[in-house]
Amino acid sequence: MLIFSGSSVWTQEKIITGQVRDNFNQPLPGANVVVQGTGRGTITNFDGDYQIQAAEGETLVFSYVGFNSRQIQVAVATTLNVTLLPGYNLDEVLLIGYGTATRAQLTDNIAVINSDQIEEIPVTSLQGTLAGKAAGVQIEQIGGRAESGFRIRVRGGATISGSQEPLYVLDGIPLQKADFSIEDSASPINDLIALNPADIESVEILKDASAAAIYGSRATNGVVLINTKSGRKGETRFSLQTAYGWSEPTSKLDWLNTKEYVELYTEAALNSGWTEAEIAAFFNSYARDEADWREGRVDTDWEDLASVSGSIYDLNFSAAGGGDKTTFYLSTGYNNTQGIVLGNAMERYSLRARIEHQAKDWLTLGVISNLSKTQLSRVENDRFFGNPYTMVSQIPFSRPYEEDGVTPNTNTLVYNALMDQYNGEFETNIWRGFAKLHLEAYLARNLNFRSEFGYDYTDQLEERFWGSLSQAAAVDGFGDALDVKEEKYVLNNYFGYRFDTEDWDFDATLGMSYEELLVKGLYLEGQNFPSDQLRKLDSAGEITGGYSSEWRASLVSYFARFSATLLNRWLFKASLRMDGSSRFGMDSQYGTFPAASLGWIASNEPFLRDSRTLSNLKLRVSWGITGNSNTNPFASKTQFGIRTYNQEPGFVLDRLGDPALSWEETSQYNFGADFGLFGNRLNTSLDYYVKSTRDLLFSTPIPVTNGWFETERNTGKIRNSGLEWTLDSQNIISENFTWNTSFNLAFNRNRVIALPNGADITNILRLVREGEALASFYMVEYAGVDPDNGNALFYRNTVLPDGSLDRSTTTNWNEANRRVVGNPFPDVFGGMTHNLRFGGIDFSFTLQGQWGAQIYNPPGKWQSSNANVFNNQTRDQLNRWQQPGDITNVPQARLFGGNGNQESTRYLQDADFIRLRNATLGYTLPASVAEKAGMDRVRVYLTGVNLLTFTDFTGRDPESTADFLQGASLLTGATYNSPPPARTITLGFNIDF
Amino acid sequence: MKINPVYIFLFLFLLACNDNLDLEPTDSLTPDELLSDPANLDKLLLGAYAYADDELAGGFQTATELLADEGNLAYQGIITPLQAFQRKEINVDNSFVYEFWSTAYIAINLCNIVLESLDLEEDPVKRAFFEGEAKFLRGLLYFELARNYALPYEPGDRNTQPGVPLVFNGVTDLSELEFPGRNPLEEVYTQAISDLQDAYELLPSKNGFRADRYTARALLARVYLQQANFESARDAAHDVLVNSEHELAPNLAAAFNNESAGVEDILAWQVTPQDGYNGFNFFWASSDFGGLAPSGILAVADPFLDLFSGPDDRASFFYEKTGNRLSAKWQALFANVPYIRVAEMHLIRSEGNFREGTSLGLPPEEEINILRARSNAAPLSALTLQDIVDERRRELAFEGHRIHDAKRLKEDIDGIPYNADRLVMPIPQSEIDANPNLEQNPGYGN
Repeated sequence: MLIFSGSSVWTQEKIITGQVRDNFNQPLPGANVVVQGTGRGTITNFDGDYQIQAAEGETLVFSYVGFNSRQIQVAVATTLNVTLLPGYNLDEVLLIGYGTATRAQLTDNIAVINSDQIEEIPVTSLQGTLAGKAAGVQIEQIGGRAESGFRIRVRGGATISGSQEPLYVLDGIPLQKADFSIEDSASPINDLIALNPADIESVEILKDASAAAIYGSRATNGVVLINTKSGRKGETRFSLQTAYGWSEPTSKLDWLNTKEYVELYTEAALNSGWTEAEIAAFFNSYARDEADWREGRVDTDWEDLASVSGSIYDLNFSAAGGGDKTTFYLSTGYNNTQGIVLGNAMERYSLRARIEHQAKDWLTLGVISNLSKTQLSRVENDRFFGNPYTMVSQIPFSRPYEEDGVTPNTNTLVYNALMDQYNGEFETNIWRGFAKLHLEAYLARNLNFRSEFGYDYTDQLEERFWGSLSQAAAVDGFGDALDVKEEKYVLNNYFGYRFDTEDWDFDATLGMSYEELLVKGLYLEGQNFPSDQLRKLDSAGEITGGYSSEWRASLVSYFARFSATLLNRWLFKASLRMDGSSRFGMDSQYGTFPAASLGWIASNEPFLRDSRTLSNLKLRVSWGITGNSNTNPFASKTQFGIRTYNQEPGFVLDRLGDPALSWEETSQYNFGADFGLFGNRLNTSLDYYVKSTRDLLFSTPIPVTNGWFETERNTGKIRNSGLEWTLDSQNIISENFTWNTSFNLAFNRNRVIALPNGADITNILRLVREGEALASFYMVEYAGVDPDNGNALFYRNTVLPDGSLDRSTTTNWNEANRRVVGNPFPDVFGGMTHNLRFGGIDFSFTLQGQWGAQIYNPPGKWQSSNANVFNNQTRDQLNRWQQPGDITNVPQARLFGGNGNQESTRYLQDADFIRLRNATLGYTLPASVAEKAGMDRVRVYLTGVNLLTFTDFTGRDPESTADFLQGASLLTGATYNSPPPARTITLGFNIDF
Repeated sequence: MKINPVYIFLFLFLLACNDNLDLEPTDSLTPDELLSDPANLDKLLLGAYAYADDELAGGFQTATELLADEGNLAYQGIITPLQAFQRKEINVDNSFVYEFWSTAYIAINLCNIVLESLDLEEDPVKRAFFEGEAKFLRGLLYFELARNYALPYEPGDRNTQPGVPLVFNGVTDLSELEFPGRNPLEEVYTQAISDLQDAYELLPSKNGFRADRYTARALLARVYLQQANFESARDAAHDVLVNSEHELAPNLAAAFNNESAGVEDILAWQVTPQDGYNGFNFFWASSDFGGLAPSGILAVADPFLDLFSGPDDRASFFYEKTGNRLSAKWQALFANVPYIRVAEMHLIRSEGNFREGTSLGLPPEEEINILRARSNAAPLSALTLQDIVDERRRELAFEGHRIHDAKRLKEDIDGIPYNADRLVMPIPQSEIDANPNLEQNPGYGN
């Protein structure tokens, strides 16, 4: 920022007051007012009013998020009312990790999403509000459970180890991974479930390496900075937000009804040499009486029983305000979500306080604290019979309940999941406390020091019970409980130094950070319960197992950053981070993560400064290295753990560790250009990136003849390259109508560049091969049905001497060769948001889409297997081959005949879709009317989420993937009786007073 | 205040820089720690039992029963990999094929670690014990691998068809990684026999629920029988019957569903509410007895009853669930799973005697009739070899023996020749993918 050297007459300083308004003549609370070139600044209060000391000749800069900033020179008048117009705010201050920068100064690629885009979207977790809003950031909810986690991929799949969640940084404190569900059968819980989205001010996603590298070894999956709301000087403003919503699954599959089932299975049985009497006897064994199936008297749609109508109730109350030295923000929130999966519900209570206090001229202190409790009623993960969606396997003439209409029928083909609701429970309570103390001291005019101490604590108690009628019937009831306590403390200390000369602005940061994580767990299980009412383990007749456990991880880091601006045109930045992690072998504990970038604000050059059309043109180039350390904390160590035999402890090999295990390193180049046209009414950015990851951390299969089947290693190199395009346009700005559009589109190409010895790595229908996309689908290719005899055919795909493939077909699956047939990563994805405002009425919606990814459906092997097993079939199986000459893709129905049910592309599908992700229609009462009622602002709105989906995918939903494979990212892109996401319509009501 | 606050903050800054990166797990030992205490050799052996138990306590035998099935079993389950066995169309990605292969080699590695570390133990008695038990388990597992993953053993032939990789190195470090090829079948049998003979020499005559010397001897009887070495099989079975102090349970029911050591069990896989996994129960029992499916996945079909010509407890050792006739052998969830029973020794000795024209211990007809009497079946007269074979089918039904009997007796299964490719398990595809030196079995792709 330029020093305003012209003004030396401090004596003429006076107090300027005024109001900042928008184009609708509505006051803008929270707008920044700064005297250019000085540290003096203030923020407008809730009525948009401000008061500031300035001298004649000085320039006041008025800015507000989402509005064009204005600069006005102070003249004689002491009242200065300013109207800001919607636009792109180059003076917007962004957090960049251990510091801030204005958008104008930025040489990085950062996606910013503000609270107005987060509020009013009725999903239980923050990530769900972000989908479709940031270029190059793919956000998918994993299934439709209320507590479901998210998969966030920033610029393609750069890593395949562990979870692909980015690093979440909440108010400067990197958060822990906070799900400790019982491995195996529980569905993963969203890391941010404890966070109330209503408390969020903004979210920034650091996409390129130059931005993310300051977070070093954990930044490869992207860094998400979450900033919470704070108070501001002025009269205390109370805000009450309520919303109630109705939800249902976005989609449902069609299954055979009783008549169709009987028809298809009779045919299948006869084709397999059964007699009509034999198949009738089978039908009878699952029907209460013969008429149930013969006359179709019972016709159960089991998916209807699994998928229920849900609801969301959300209530938030906050108070914010402050005096000259102290500001505060207090809030409390309640959320009650009844899921769309039978038996799934969530309740969250949260309490938050943020207080900042100016203790001395040079010293600011602050505290943020957050307490929350989340109560979950859960169902087992997709793979287990406790997942109500597994009931789709049941036979349609099986009755769901006994005569009494309440007790689930136990005479069903597979376990009746209704029993888990009737005769069991699966509860999880999560208590989470987050506290942060910080102080900021101006040690000298240009030197400040910031110290932050953060403490993040989670206690997750999971309690399960299966009663005497359930899966645990054989042991008269089974119960278990897992309690995991996790604490993490983080200490950040850093110095900031600013130095300006006539031509140069310098900014330097130097600091350190230390983090320590401690996890302690306690587990107990028991059986033989005296009564189904007594469900806690103190009632178990026999305690059959238990353990306590503990693990730790620590990270020590040093970081430095230097940035400079020359003549307001040239931008330079360089940073360096050094991380030492306890997760790696002794030889490789420390890693270094440098980054550098360069920007040129061409529009500030004399030859462009006066352009009427081009208001901003910035060219950026950046490079940097980030790391990924997402492995088991002891992955580098060979370990022998305990397995008991006949209740005596034995030792077994738990892991073959690689002592050379080290960081996965991603180096990334980014070339970008930002254009602002017509006074920044139209802004567009184009970024091209090349992201190369080497030493991929991942589990490599090894021959199990060595005593173990995999080892975590640094293996190979992959490259993601792509193009991102964003467009923000203020289409119409008038006194009573505004319309703006944000658009983003990303293209990504993922390729494996090198592997050790060039050798393929194969793992359950997935292949890692040089020249192919990472985790490509690798399977036998289905060739349809032989019209002559109804046999399922597969392409042989043997490589012939001339290099071509033998495209002849075979009925013997073992004779068919696997080939690469797709991959789970989209080539193109994007989103588009429109905001329209007409007087007090506003309307906005977001469209989201993706193209080029595939999804595999393993349960197709029994659900769409032309009646190979008794499990009910999807209705498309009625198109089976029946007589010579039939042209169809569904082979002849042969009970237990295995005709085409092998793993093949028959169960692989494109997952392209376009979705109306959310749409909101709102009405804000005119201020004059609201004030008469004693309110500052009154607003009602109607929001829908996942309203429409356009796709050729015939599974439930192209976004619902197998929750139990979330961590095994090489196996990503499979769906497995996975509940679809919810379609929710919410009516909300907000008042400020 | 004259102290420049900068110093205070600098102090704070440096204070925080403590370095604590060398964290150790609290629930496991490194190889060095493990192999510093000879008592841990015993615990490694328990670990090997635990892995062997995973599949041999019924899961794997269930698959082989279906592979041998000719209509005696009604399979109704959702588990398509099992269904493939009944159809004799095993895919190279079959999970049962992979699970046994992998758990067997994980257990073999633990045995090899023990065998490489015997010097740790100074007490010769204990050392002999460790060596014997490690060799017993290794021999058992190589035998099971050989008879399932290779073309049948042909007596009198050189048996050069690929067996399975023989591995002797105990891997505790990634640098020891090997990519072994398959040894000829003869070598695998020779190794299994050598291990079991050593175990017979080294193990004590009583060893609780773990293998003793007669367990090794009983398994040798089974191996010799598979090789059609009837004389050695007879002698080994005789040794066990005379010296092991195991005897037939008084009635059929008492031979199964025992939660503690059964008198008839020469080796039983241990299952408790806390550990062990009863794979038979999982697939064969109805869910009210702990099974996976409400009315069981495998039921006994009518043709099985045709094996019986008169009243016989074994023809009614069932319980009913939703019209399914379920075997009562696997009814109890936490019951130990018999792996070698005294009844099998009687059958081996009588067959050996019959074939060799001897009467070691008992004349064959008398021995078969003792076994029949236990199940209240009428005695047989004018005993034929076929009678003995049929008696095996009646007595050892649903225990995983049938496929191996068919192969040694060169009997077709469902019209498929005993030595057909389809009746041999493939090498797991994942293992072929991970080890370029492994050759796939014939008939499983190119």
